[in-house]
Amino acid sequence: MNLAMAERLPPDTLHAEGLAWPLGAPEAQHARQVEGPAPLLGLAAVETRLGAHGFGPFTSSLRAGERVAILGPSGAGKSTLLKLMSGERAARRGELRFDGVPCARWALPALARRRAVLPQSFAVAFGLPVELVVSLGRVARDHDPGQTGIVASALALAQAAHLAGRRFDTLSGGEQARVQLARVFAQVWDEREALVLVDEPLAALDPGLQFELMDALQVFSAERGHALVAVLHDLNQALSGFERLWLMQQGQLIADLPANRHAVGALERLYGIGLRCVDGSDGGFAVITQRCVASNAEVPA
Amino acid sequence: MFAALLLAALLAAQFGAVGIQWVDWSSAWSPAGADAPVSAGAHVLWNIRLPRVVFALWIGAALGASGALTQALFRNPLADPSLLGVTGGAACAAALTIVAFAGAQATLPMAWRPWVLPVSAFVGALSVCFALDRLARWVTPGSISGLLLTGVALNAVAVSVIGLCTYLATDEQLRSLSFWTLGSLAGAGWPLVAAIAVLVLGAAWRAQRLARVLNALALGEEVAGHIGVSAQHLRAQAIVLVALLCGFAVAWCGTIAFVGLIAPHLARSVVGPDQRKVLPASLVIGALLLLLADTFARTLVVPAEIPVGIFTALIGGPVLLVMLADLARRRGGVG
Repeated sequence: MNLAMAERLPPDTLHAEGLAWPLGAPEAQHARQVEGPAPLLGLAAVETRLGAHGFGPFTSSLRAGERVAILGPSGAGKSTLLKLMSGERAARRGELRFDGVPCARWALPALARRRAVLPQSFAVAFGLPVELVVSLGRVARDHDPGQTGIVASALALAQAAHLAGRRFDTLSGGEQARVQLARVFAQVWDEREALVLVDEPLAALDPGLQFELMDALQVFSAERGHALVAVLHDLNQALSGFERLWLMQQGQLIADLPANRHAVGALERLYGIGLRCVDGSDGGFAVITQRCVASNAEVPA
Repeated sequence: MFAALLLAALLAAQFGAVGIQWVDWSSAWSPAGADAPVSAGAHVLWNIRLPRVVFALWIGAALGASGALTQALFRNPLADPSLLGVTGGAACAAALTIVAFAGAQATLPMAWRPWVLPVSAFVGALSVCFALDRLARWVTPGSISGLLLTGVALNAVAVSVIGLCTYLATDEQLRSLSFWTLGSLAGAGWPLVAAIAVLVLGAAWRAQRLARVLNALALGEEVAGHIGVSAQHLRAQAIVLVALLCGFAVAWCGTIAFVGLIAPHLARSVVGPDQRKVLPASLVIGALLLLLADTFARTLVVPAEIPVGIFTALIGGPVLLVMLADLARRRGGVG
């Protein structure tokens, strides 16, 4: 769908298509044309409810190899959108398609071989050993001769090789996060064009590890053509490592824009803060948050 | 492990109210044939003692395996098959049979009467399990803690029905009811042993195929879904297995407490938390535990015997407390 078409549609549809631009900045408007083969994941007016709160309708799509960061204030529905995409939460209306086929028609193990999820929190019962937790990422494969090697490589990639042999429930929060990340790596290690969904994967880690693991996630996904969708709080992680930003507010996907300098204004309005761009030595940039409420009024209620 | 099992079984068969001589052991292979008069010792050994020992092993194995499955299902090392209402359902059906349908029983042919109580208890256990599965699916779809709470609710209803039966029962009915509730392995004979052997082996084979997937459940229901394991299908299968294993045991032996709770715990401390090892280990350890308890139960106060259910609870209670303290020390909390 191009911009000209979008203009002819009634405002409701516009919103539903995820193309609406209530935050202004028309130069950043990004009408996404879906062409060629079916997108890896397609959401068509997907809705859900959580108590009295409605979420959606969400309409968007994502191609193999794309990297999308979901941003928004707390309670905006970021995790809920991710849970819809991971199948953990059922859609009340609308349809999700994975690789052109409705998710409901996929067999669960077949889907699990191509869709890995890192949840926000996790509790492992019985004190399973680390290797077993990671190898469970591959439980959907009946015949898996390379498992031992893949588990070891996945642990190494997640900077967790030294944790092998430990019981999961004796690890610190940051160590548990790395083991779970290794489990996600193992799950789609030898696949092409899979979907990796992560919910604040690095919140419990120190800054050095955050850099290394974010790089690892991105290289891992890029090498295999996996699409990567991450719920994030750190704006710099989102701006530096991702191509698209999905901005959420009050249960709605309010914007879908490329992650570049033009997005900074929209982010200021989304969070009601000021952002100052600082150029990095490598040609990139970083933002510094500032207390600022000047443009708050423009944020739609 | 199996050598220990065999040795324990032989030793257990040796002890009892009637002394067993070495010649009694060999009587089965003696050339005299079936017509030759056998000594009292040989008769006791081959027709009473050995079936009971083997029966104790199989029932213990069934209880151990059903305990391991229940704990894996609820992701909790302190879960027990009785939480699912299996025991409550069986006891409830048995109580109803003894008290409410006492008249109907008298109309049955003599040969069928000994089977009435176990069969009705078995049906009670199974029907509570299936009711539980249906009800939990309807009331709290998809949640395993919801399943647990539904089980607690059903158990409460069963207990109140048992209470009502106890209140209404005559003295004689009350006696047979309380005797059944305490549990005993005395009814064992070779046909029953064969029946439970088939059941336990079949269920164990099925459970072993589930073991890999049961490990996934330890990561949580949501994560299990993410890695391709449907918690809902898994729980339906696990419930059927628990109902079969534990239901059979409860139906023929009454409520034998704590074996299902302690066997998997010991198994985990020996072989680690991997369900592929915990399930077979619980089977063997459960068998050993019940054999031990039953041997004590029938030898301590010869010629009388203590109901084995009393014995397992007497040992199990303190062991559970030790387990709780151990868990709390290791993890700073229970659960």
